[in-house]
Amino acid sequence: MRLLSWWARRLLSAVLTLFVVSVLIFAASRLMPGGFAEVVLGPFAGPDQRAAVSAKYGLDQSLVVQYGLWLAAAVKGDLGTSLLSGEPVAGEFLLRIPVTVELTVLGIAAAVLIGIPLGVYTAVRAGQRGGGALGRLAGGLGVSVPEFVLGSLVVFVFSRYALGLTVGGYRPLGEDVGANLRSMVLPAAVLSVFAIAVTARTTRDAVLNVLVEPYITASVARGEAPLAIIRRHVLRNASIPILVVLTTITAYLLGGAVIIENLFNLPGVGSYVVQAVGRRDYAVVQAGVLLAAAVFVVLTMLADATSGVLDPRLGKAVR
Amino acid sequence: MTTWRRLDPLSRTGLVCLVVLVLAALAGSVFGLGGNPDGIVGSRLAPPSWQWPLGTDQLGRSMLPRVLEGIGTTLLLSTLAVLVTASLSTVLGIVAGYRGGWLAELVLRMVDVLYSFPTIVLAILVAAVLGPGQAATLCSIVLVTIPLMTRLVRTAAMTVSERDYITSAVISGVGWWRILARHVLPNVSGTIAVQGTYALSVGILVEGGLSFLGFGVQPPESSLGVLIQQGGIYLLAAPWLLAFPGVVLVVAILAINVFGDGLRDRLEPRESRSLV
Repeated sequence: MRLLSWWARRLLSAVLTLFVVSVLIFAASRLMPGGFAEVVLGPFAGPDQRAAVSAKYGLDQSLVVQYGLWLAAAVKGDLGTSLLSGEPVAGEFLLRIPVTVELTVLGIAAAVLIGIPLGVYTAVRAGQRGGGALGRLAGGLGVSVPEFVLGSLVVFVFSRYALGLTVGGYRPLGEDVGANLRSMVLPAAVLSVFAIAVTARTTRDAVLNVLVEPYITASVARGEAPLAIIRRHVLRNASIPILVVLTTITAYLLGGAVIIENLFNLPGVGSYVVQAVGRRDYAVVQAGVLLAAAVFVVLTMLADATSGVLDPRLGKAVR
Repeated sequence: MTTWRRLDPLSRTGLVCLVVLVLAALAGSVFGLGGNPDGIVGSRLAPPSWQWPLGTDQLGRSMLPRVLEGIGTTLLLSTLAVLVTASLSTVLGIVAGYRGGWLAELVLRMVDVLYSFPTIVLAILVAAVLGPGQAATLCSIVLVTIPLMTRLVRTAAMTVSERDYITSAVISGVGWWRILARHVLPNVSGTIAVQGTYALSVGILVEGGLSFLGFGVQPPESSLGVLIQQGGIYLLAAPWLLAFPGVVLVVAILAINVFGDGLRDRLEPRESRSLV
């Protein structure tokens, strides 16, 4: 019962956050320079044409009404019409989502398979001699090299020397699996460096916090094998921060692997939004940002619900 | 000086790197090291040589003064933004942590909303509203770094306000302003320092990413992000255009992170244990 009311509160706060987010995005889109009509018609349109466009896009109504219409449509899955192509934005997003999702899945898989074991290992070894400064430096480097620098380096190396992988030249997964993977491995690898480093750091911190608990001392005293202690006591108790960081990375990758998609010419969601800002296609920008924020809010809510299951103490803490 | 003595060698190296970068930027802007960053001095896309230590760019401008200018712009923008973030977060976090109630709830909600935008997406939205440039970059860094810092300052302030010395100050009739300034603020200053350091590295990342996408600092002005973006265009013909600002950017971020780690270990020490 307590857990249920905790989930209900969490759901309510997520809805509230999303509402404020949508107001903010709507306000931002109205503050952007050069209004809607300006972009559609160009500078030489007469007043009649302006009025016609305003009527067509509902710009002659009050801002509150406009916001209400926009939100109602967005909830139903209608994200508006691209001002430049005249096509529905939602359709364009649907075409591009698989690319971004594939990139995200590859990045998160690397974070889980490499980042978590690395974090546990460095935490357990933390008290011992050697490797400390080197591990910190390597971890720090992974977090510190921006994706546009690492990505550029990768583009340079693989453009100059053909090493079997291609830079750009994206092919859909359904069309040719081999060619698709050859074009996705490099961007995914660049993204995963950051994902692995952040996951490893968080895992290390979480594990270090668990290792000082009395029940670990007790397990060591009982003579349990180190691997068993890690599996049974350490990982379970360290799982919540790790879950949170993996969720955040997932949401960020889904909402904005913007730079990597741009650099490697991948037709994903992020590169679409960036092009739209350049072309002042505000309907697309508005929809893209809303989508990214919504993904984040929903994912963190799900992660919180999972945390409640992983650690029953959380649900009980509610007053 | 005491801070210096307490830091481990790696963090000291980070601090030294930072000081060197600041000095290099100053040497460029105040003493004109490397010459005029905007002057066309020689052939286009010339590789590094004695005459032009970092080569020349697509217009024949020497890269050395441009990189120095870029370091200055990037560090200045990020530092300014972090100062704004630190001031706002300190006020919001301390008030929310100490006062609690609906005020805290409001602050946390606002912070949650900002937190829901992926970093670079929020920065792009800001750039779309304000128009690309330094103001948009500064504003983006502030909005991106404020949520985490406010949350952590609030948590720290909450812990502090439950301590006995605060209770006794309240009983002694000390005014709330004095309590916040004299008792709470000094005790959360460690958190502010550590988070400020991390925020600085995030700031440099945001400036770089935004300028790389073309929405940040605008050429002909130079910043590390702009130089990397421009270098990317001539990547295969003249890789040094990207290599030098890229390396400098990585060194700056790494130095700040390593220094921040050392600072955190000093201020929030934690023991470790062996599993066998």
